[in-house]
Amino acid sequence: MFLIIGRALKESFINFWRNGWLSVAAVSVLVLSLFVVGAVFMLGMVADNVLKNVENKVNISVYFKSDVAEEKIQASKKDLEGFKEISSVEYISKDKALEIFKRDNADEQVIMESLEEIGENPLLASLVIKANNPSQYQVIVDYVNNASFKDDVSRVNYGKNKDLINRLNSIILQIKKIGLVLAGIFGAVSILIIFNTIRITIYTHKQEIEVMRLVGSSNMFIRLPFIFEGIIYGVVASLVASIILMIAIKFINVYASSVVSSGNLFAFYLDNALYILGLQIAIGAFLGIASSWIAMRKYLKI
Amino acid sequence: MKKERKIKIEETEDMNEEKYSRESKDPSVLIRFDHVSKFFKDDKDVLSDINLEIKRGEFISIVGHSGAGKSTLLKLIYAEEMPTVGSVYFDEVSLDMISRRKMPYHRRRIGTIFQDFKLLPKKTVFENVAYAMEACGAPKNEILEDVPQILDIVGLGDKMEKFPHELSGGEQQKVVLARALIHKPLVIAADEPTGNLDPVSSIEMVKLLLEINKLGTTVILASHDREVVNKAAKRVIVLDHGKIICDDAKGKYKMC
Repeated sequence: MFLIIGRALKESFINFWRNGWLSVAAVSVLVLSLFVVGAVFMLGMVADNVLKNVENKVNISVYFKSDVAEEKIQASKKDLEGFKEISSVEYISKDKALEIFKRDNADEQVIMESLEEIGENPLLASLVIKANNPSQYQVIVDYVNNASFKDDVSRVNYGKNKDLINRLNSIILQIKKIGLVLAGIFGAVSILIIFNTIRITIYTHKQEIEVMRLVGSSNMFIRLPFIFEGIIYGVVASLVASIILMIAIKFINVYASSVVSSGNLFAFYLDNALYILGLQIAIGAFLGIASSWIAMRKYLKI
Repeated sequence: MKKERKIKIEETEDMNEEKYSRESKDPSVLIRFDHVSKFFKDDKDVLSDINLEIKRGEFISIVGHSGAGKSTLLKLIYAEEMPTVGSVYFDEVSLDMISRRKMPYHRRRIGTIFQDFKLLPKKTVFENVAYAMEACGAPKNEILEDVPQILDIVGLGDKMEKFPHELSGGEQQKVVLARALIHKPLVIAADEPTGNLDPVSSIEMVKLLLEINKLGTTVILASHDREVVNKAAKRVIVLDHGKIICDDAKGKYKMC
């Protein structure tokens, strides 16, 4: 059994090598399709990452009227913390709000001057609420609007980020859809090309196959080299595609690093490289086997 | 490897099983054609109603014009073609009882020789013969032992490293014969083996076939070469338009 597999492997490597340009054609189309698959996958992961980042920045700010006592706000905070949908509630006092405001607008001369002119702290104390899940914000907002402390609330700030998230979500979905379609098209084309390549290989080995059948070699022995050839196409193509993807990411790294949380797209790729490579090899080998199997069924009378 | 061997044994046992065999069971009959007809799509019969028994160890010449159905008759034996009507029995087992998976094992019982040799041009003489063994999963040491031995028998022991195009037609045909013999087949089916050979090589070829026959292998020789058939001087079957018109036990080449 090992003997047969070993001989078939040897045979398929020789085939792959001797068919030169044919192999190059088959592999390059496969590379293209695997590159698209890899890129789409990478894009998807980056997009998820971005979405998560943005979601983390979303919160609800509940501003209390300036005459509400701190104890009362603290009580509302306790009340809100009891919700399982809410992951954290942070109390920002008037003084702290002013501090943050001053820090953020330190460069704005006009604003700072007008602030001094007012003389007193114009800012309101607030509670900053973060939810576990962005879809729960609406529920929380509704609750706050009807809560026992609603009379103390000056305004609830929510919605500023909501549109942004929804838009981002739909864009990502679009990208994923287009990517899948592209990957499907390239996959189909590469099946056709490998199919053709194997068919030509079978044709050039017609005599050999005829002799094999006549001397009574088992069907497996006739088939295996072609299947292995398909697998070789797949594996070589996925390795090449990974290298190209790596170079491409290294190249766009400079422009695109800000979108991922770690700030380094290349490092992000390396973190997931094994995953992507595995996926590409699996898809490549599958395409190779599938197309050579179809070609054999049609052209080997065994 | 071990598994392979085991399957092989099961295979042969299976083929010999009682339930597949029918009626007259003369153990000396190796191949039996039972009302066999063969026709291809919208064509007249290539073979019609052939009844023929070939005994173990027999040397049988099949003669006839080209297109008389000689090649088809041989193809039915090594199951390259299946009969349209009737059955071909090998060792009293009908060939259409053998599944596709088991067919290779049937073919190993038959050595084939052709007019156009069917040698692989990019392989040496040794490799061409070894290939037949490799293709059946024989271990390396067995190949290294058997191949030179068989090449010695056909008289090519000193030309093992030559390529087919470096040999004469007669020598190439001997390589084919060696390849056919490597599985120690029960039958040698030779389809016009002397078609591309000069008279001297042809006679040499027949002598070799006779020698092999003497060692117990059944030989079926399809030919339209008068010299060759007369040299063999064995049973002659004459085919004409797909019918057997003559079956002569001590035969000369003739058209009846």
